[in-house]
Amino acid sequence: MRRSIFILAFLLCLVSSAFAAPIEIELVQYKPEAFRTFDSLAEKFNATHKNIHLKISSPNEPMTILKTRFIRDNYPDIIGIGGDMDFSNFQDAGLLADVSGYKGLEKIKPAYIDIINGLKFVPTPGVFGVPYMANAAGILYNKDIFDSHGWKIPETWSDFIKLCDDIKAAGILPMYFGFKDTWTTLAPWNALAVDLVRADVCQEVNLGNATFAKEYREVAEKIYSILKYAEPGPFAYGYNDACTAFARGESAMYVIGNYAIPQILSVNPTMNIDSFVMPGREDSNAHTLNSGVDIMFCVMEACPNKDAAYEVIDFLLDPENIQSYVNDQNSVPCQIGNFNLTPMLNGMRKYIDAGKMADYHDHHYPSEMAVDAQIQTYLLHGDINAFLAKFDTDWVRYNRDIIEKLKKYNASHK
Amino acid sequence: MKSQNERKRTFLLIAIPILLLFFAFNTVPLIRGFIYSFTNFRGYGSFDWVGLRNYVDLFTDTRVGNSYWFTFKLALVATILINILSLIMALALNSKIRFKSFLRGMYFIPNILGALVVGYIFSYIFTYILPAITHAASMLASRTWAWLAIVIVCAWQSIAMNTLIYISGLQTVPEDVYEAAALDGATGWNRFRYITFPLIMPFFTINMVLCMKNNLMVFDQIMALTKGGPAQSTESISYLIYNNGMNGGQFGFQSANAVIFFIVIVVISILQLRFLNKKEEQL
Amino acid sequence: MANQNILVKEKFNWPVTILLLLGLFTVLFPLYMTVIIAFKQPSEMTNDVIGLLSFPKSWSFDNFREAMRVTDFWRSLFNSFLITAITMIFSIIIHSLMGYAVARNMNRSKFYRFSYFYIVSGMFVPFAILMMPLVKQTAQLHIDNMFGVIILYVVFYMPMNVLLYAGYLKNIPIALEEAAHVDGASTWTTYWKIIFPLMWPMHATVAVLTALGTWNDVMTPLVIMSGSGVNTLPLAQLNFQTQFGTNYNLAFASYLLALLPMLIFYLIAQKQIINGVINGAVK
Repeated sequence: MRRSIFILAFLLCLVSSAFAAPIEIELVQYKPEAFRTFDSLAEKFNATHKNIHLKISSPNEPMTILKTRFIRDNYPDIIGIGGDMDFSNFQDAGLLADVSGYKGLEKIKPAYIDIINGLKFVPTPGVFGVPYMANAAGILYNKDIFDSHGWKIPETWSDFIKLCDDIKAAGILPMYFGFKDTWTTLAPWNALAVDLVRADVCQEVNLGNATFAKEYREVAEKIYSILKYAEPGPFAYGYNDACTAFARGESAMYVIGNYAIPQILSVNPTMNIDSFVMPGREDSNAHTLNSGVDIMFCVMEACPNKDAAYEVIDFLLDPENIQSYVNDQNSVPCQIGNFNLTPMLNGMRKYIDAGKMADYHDHHYPSEMAVDAQIQTYLLHGDINAFLAKFDTDWVRYNRDIIEKLKKYNASHK
Repeated sequence: MKSQNERKRTFLLIAIPILLLFFAFNTVPLIRGFIYSFTNFRGYGSFDWVGLRNYVDLFTDTRVGNSYWFTFKLALVATILINILSLIMALALNSKIRFKSFLRGMYFIPNILGALVVGYIFSYIFTYILPAITHAASMLASRTWAWLAIVIVCAWQSIAMNTLIYISGLQTVPEDVYEAAALDGATGWNRFRYITFPLIMPFFTINMVLCMKNNLMVFDQIMALTKGGPAQSTESISYLIYNNGMNGGQFGFQSANAVIFFIVIVVISILQLRFLNKKEEQL
Repeated sequence: MANQNILVKEKFNWPVTILLLLGLFTVLFPLYMTVIIAFKQPSEMTNDVIGLLSFPKSWSFDNFREAMRVTDFWRSLFNSFLITAITMIFSIIIHSLMGYAVARNMNRSKFYRFSYFYIVSGMFVPFAILMMPLVKQTAQLHIDNMFGVIILYVVFYMPMNVLLYAGYLKNIPIALEEAAHVDGASTWTTYWKIIFPLMWPMHATVAVLTALGTWNDVMTPLVIMSGSGVNTLPLAQLNFQTQFGTNYNLAFASYLLALLPMLIFYLIAQKQIINGVINGAVK
């Protein structure tokens, strides 16, 4: 009995070495809405690669799934996640591999590499993800309404306010907010903040070189000042209400990102949408587009076949595959090159091409601090001093471990 | 004597394996969670021991304080409301009515509908339909009234469950008790007050405890209706524990919150149980 | 038997019936909204009251068909059904035994009184604190699958069900068992022959409450079976919600489909609760 098992095992070894099984690479990506695109990419990959078998899964509730898998020490080889706090935490927990040696990084726009490097709590050396697609936020507008009234895209803050006044005077609601869902308050907040405030403000505050009370005052004043151009009582309506209202032509503009386009089009599939950058300042040449990494590929530290993982990423970065992803998802590619983008991003195109962009500020806020809810509270009360003071005190409390780590790191790297 | 021993042994053979199962999957993870409450663990990866810091923070955090106030206010009002209404519903549905099965079935539907549906429908009712009728602003957008909207939805959903428990309690009241009462001339309110209610008192106890527990741990309705807003006025304790502990990076801190919360409700519920059990004995 | 005939001949209580029918509006109105949304297309969704309450352009079952396709309906239904049914059966057997052991000894023995409060207090542990430790524990025991989910449900619902059974047994006189004991039956046999059948209305209640909780639960299967590819109905329904968009029409159609089996089960269980009256009358 025992001998026969031994022989069997020996035979199995022989067989498996003769027909080397392909290396299995598992990629878990966090955008379930893009599952079809990823499924067809995986199919195409497996048809052309014999040595590697790629399995892509696009689960619902992806972050919960990933975190619970990490608890069990069950790691995929590559994860496709967004450039936000989860990435910072995964990186800080040492789960992600440094991919700075990966060749494909050279083709990625430096602005996006800077964005994901800026997300690290502590400026440790290395690059921990390959940015794939970006999103862009600012103002979406109803092109038909604009064209029929001859309104132009505003270049400065005072142009923007004048435009709002004109729209209001024409008996149209300038914009619709869905502030019942607190996270939507971050859309105008981020759009103004990237234009008005330095991108590394959170790190500077962590180092004690700046205060939010000073840095964010103008942002807070300006976001409050546009409330009067929205529907009355915007705190009663949610994101979904706002998408529906904008889609039905109830407002001329909607301060949100390109990620809202599918929901808007589901209500009104033939809507003519375009976009522009929120002009937060008066200097029309100095605006910055609010753009973040929508999805990047991170190779896990635990991945045993990093070269195979790179081969998969090479395939995904192939311009042809990027273009098909962009066509399906209306995204903005992070790779350098001439891609066809959706016409709905025409108004933002020159910023995208020039790489004049900065990350969403809230990607640096700890989610448990609930900055979105604090902005909502401020917009309800209007007490700017209380809001900014609380921002600074809460910040220190929710970030103290990070601040300590950062100080320690800086002390040892002087 | 022999049968007494046999009885004791049988009960122990039943109770011990069940207690062990319960210990393994309820108490053991609770102890682990308790240990995490002394760390800055975020759920995965490395962590540091922080001693009692989380507990000290807990008592100085106004957000946690507000969530306690909100949760208890909501739980108290909702529990009383739900128990009164479901007792009335149970008596009505248990009386000799036409379309009994149909009515019982229909009134049970709110309990089966998923949170997404309930959230959407009631958001719609509060945001568009009620303001159109009353010409007042939406309750969900008002810091003074949003909690009441949540009470209404909690009640709408959970009356079905408490009614069911009261109905099954009413089945233990033998029909001849009513007949005897009818002979004594007890009808209506008196019959309820002196005969029915004392007999279903154990079910009143159960419902009070279950209802209190469900309302103190309110989570789904918050997620569906307000997500803690407006202006953080409807953040329940469970909402904070889940949202900041699981989704945020505060697992350690929220474990401490959960431990304190657990102790608080256990104390409340055991006091409630003891008080109501005493009442039961008096009746 | 004669008693029963009198009951049947008795008149229906029409005032209560009418009040209950009127009260049905609170259920029918939200249900009406759910049904029409389930039939509409996303492009028919509006923000005004009339637009929402109006009928869909066509009553086609396309949404239901599409929802069934997206959720892989029959397979997800089967998994949900399997988990719910097994949990329910285990719950009825295990929890009624524990309830019995506790109820019959609580007044005499400190151990059982302690066990009762120990188990009941487990109800108040916020799931969020148990979640991560349980994920780890089930993985270590290699039960991060359907079996593990069922074990966890049996543990989660134990407090509520033990509370219910113990409460119900207070109203079942101990004299019945003592008579059987005198006849020489063991405690175990007495339980299965006499007590278990007497608790039928409570079994039905426990079955409904446990089934309902497991049927609609998302969190436990999500975190315990994450990545295993096994879908339950609520897990599959997450397909309709993504971060920046929700297809309410498909989701509502799917929720209505998921509601039906539960409603039918509830109506069957209701009959059992009413049958309990007859059992009670016999005793």
